[in-house]
This record gives sequence, structure tokens and C-alpha cells, in this order.
Amino acid sequence: MTQFKVYKIGPEIKFGNVDLSFTNSSLFMLISAAIICLFLYFSTKERKIIPGKLQLISEMLFNFIAKMISDTAGSKAKPYFPFIFSLFAFVLICNMVGMLPYSFTVTSHIIVTLIMALFIFFAVTVIGFLKHGFKYLSIFVPSGVPVVLLPLITVIEIISYLSRPVSLSVRLFANMMAGHTMLKVFGGFVISLGLLGGWLPLSFSVALTGLEILVAFLQAYVFAILTCIYLNDALNLHH
Amino acid sequence: MGEKKDFQTRLEIEKEKLNHKEDKNKVNRGLFFGNAFRLGTELVAAVAVGTIIGFILDNWFDTKPLFILIFFFVGFAAGILNVVRTAKEMQK
Repeated sequence: MTQFKVYKIGPEIKFGNVDLSFTNSSLFMLISAAIICLFLYFSTKERKIIPGKLQLISEMLFNFIAKMISDTAGSKAKPYFPFIFSLFAFVLICNMVGMLPYSFTVTSHIIVTLIMALFIFFAVTVIGFLKHGFKYLSIFVPSGVPVVLLPLITVIEIISYLSRPVSLSVRLFANMMAGHTMLKVFGGFVISLGLLGGWLPLSFSVALTGLEILVAFLQAYVFAILTCIYLNDALNLHH
Repeated sequence: MGEKKDFQTRLEIEKEKLNHKEDKNKVNRGLFFGNAFRLGTELVAAVAVGTIIGFILDNWFDTKPLFILIFFFVGFAAGILNVVRTAKEMQK
């Protein structure tokens, strides 16, 4: 489908075998990042006592993430606030920009979400090892398991740990891709059923657009909260 | 100048609030819908990872269907474990 196509914008840039050309995907990532930066800059520029609408939105956003981190990962996770905040804002704005007609949904490509998930996975693993040393490996060995079952349980735990980046990235990618495909399919029905029967799929796609906006927000939220949960496992070692 | 000071005090109060809001029982109930999305992929991802590990091991040791079969089921077990854990987290 054309809306998922990645194409080059401008000249081809190559370093050896690596193709680093600027694509429409990179363009929309830049647009999303610019929206976040400009919005946060202008909304907090005046620092009023009684906040205006924009300032209120950015304060709510800040409080929302801060509360989420302290609820799920505790006070030890405070230093990671900037990372989780930017992660949430980036995924949210990418999803929302993708909802605009003729735009490109960056998060509907698995390579984007997988790289983000892998970065989180490795970062959390490194943090765990830095904080606890080799004791961090004890998350693979739950307490109170009979010795006979221990090898099997350890293998299961390792697979469960390795499945984190996969589930994190596939969830976001699949939800965005499936949602946009569904909208496209219902849009196609409107055209093919014409003036007589096209009203039903049209009303469906209006409702689905609302649902998609909800999903776009929820997936950003889930992405951020799972990062917090993984961080919690790494920081507070107990099972 | 006074306005800036007022803002500072308000900022301090908000920061104080954040420090006190650490009781774990206060999960955001309104967003439980987000958790519901998690369950399906948790299961599938673990099965996929298990199968991939089995496939790689098979290629290493040249024992074609053996490890892929074992690790498929181990991955399934890991998936069930993930789902149970997620469900427990949601109940907290």
C-alpha cells in the first residue's frame, strides 16, 4: 500500500554498503521531533502562575509521566525520567502525525519500533548489570523452585526475558499497521459500494478513526509503561 | 519579580507532591485498556523467540527438527509465564 512506502527524498547518501539516504520516514521523524520541541518550548516559555491552555497541557504531560514512573518503578527510576518522557512524546507524536491524511506513520514500520525496543532492552540489561553486578543474573533463577526443575525454569525465564524487545516492538508496529490498513480497507469499500451502499462503511471509518486515535495514545502509553516496568526489574532486584 | 517567585513556590509544591505520590496501590485504573492490548503479543512473542532459538541451535548442531520442537514448547511455556505475570501486575 502506498501509505507504507518508504522512498528517498533528495540525493542518495552512501557510506560503504550502508544506505543513509534521507527518506520520507526520516522526514516525518524530524517533523515529530520538531513538533515536540517547539510545543514544549513555546508552551513553557512564559511560566505563568495560572497556566494558560498550552502550559497546562505540557504540565499535565510532565505530571502524567512523572506519576507513571514513580508508580511503576519507584524513586530510583527518577534519573531516567528524561529518557522515558522523550520516548513517550516521540511515539505519541509519531502515531498522531500518522493519523493525518497524506502523512506517513513512522511507527508502522517494524525496523523503527524494533530499534527503539532493542535499545531499551540493552540499556535495561546494562543498567541491571551495573547496579547489581553478576547478581543481576538471579532474575533468571526464581526462588523456591525444586532443583530438578531448575534448568528448565531457567531456560524458560531466559526466553521470557529475550521476548521482551520482540513483544514491545511487535505490539506497537502491529497495532499501527493494522489500524491504518483497516481504515484503508473501509475507505476502499466506500468507493466500491458507491452512493447507495457507501454510507455504512463511511460511518464505520469515522468510528474507526476515533478508535485509531485512542490506539495511538494507548500504544505510546503502553510502550512507555513497559519501559518503566523493565527498568523496575533492573533497578529493584526481587522476584 | 514577584510573579517569578510565585511561580517558583508553585513549582516547589508540585515537586513536593511528586515525591509523596509513591504508594504503589494507586494504579491508573482508567488506562487498564492499555494493559489488555499487552496480553496477546506477550504470548506470541515468547513462542516466536523460542522457535527462533530452536532454529538457530538446529542449524549449529545439524539436528534438524529436534531443538525447534523442544524450544517451541519451551517458548510456549515462557509465553504462558509472561501472560500470567502481566495478569498479576494488572491485578495489583
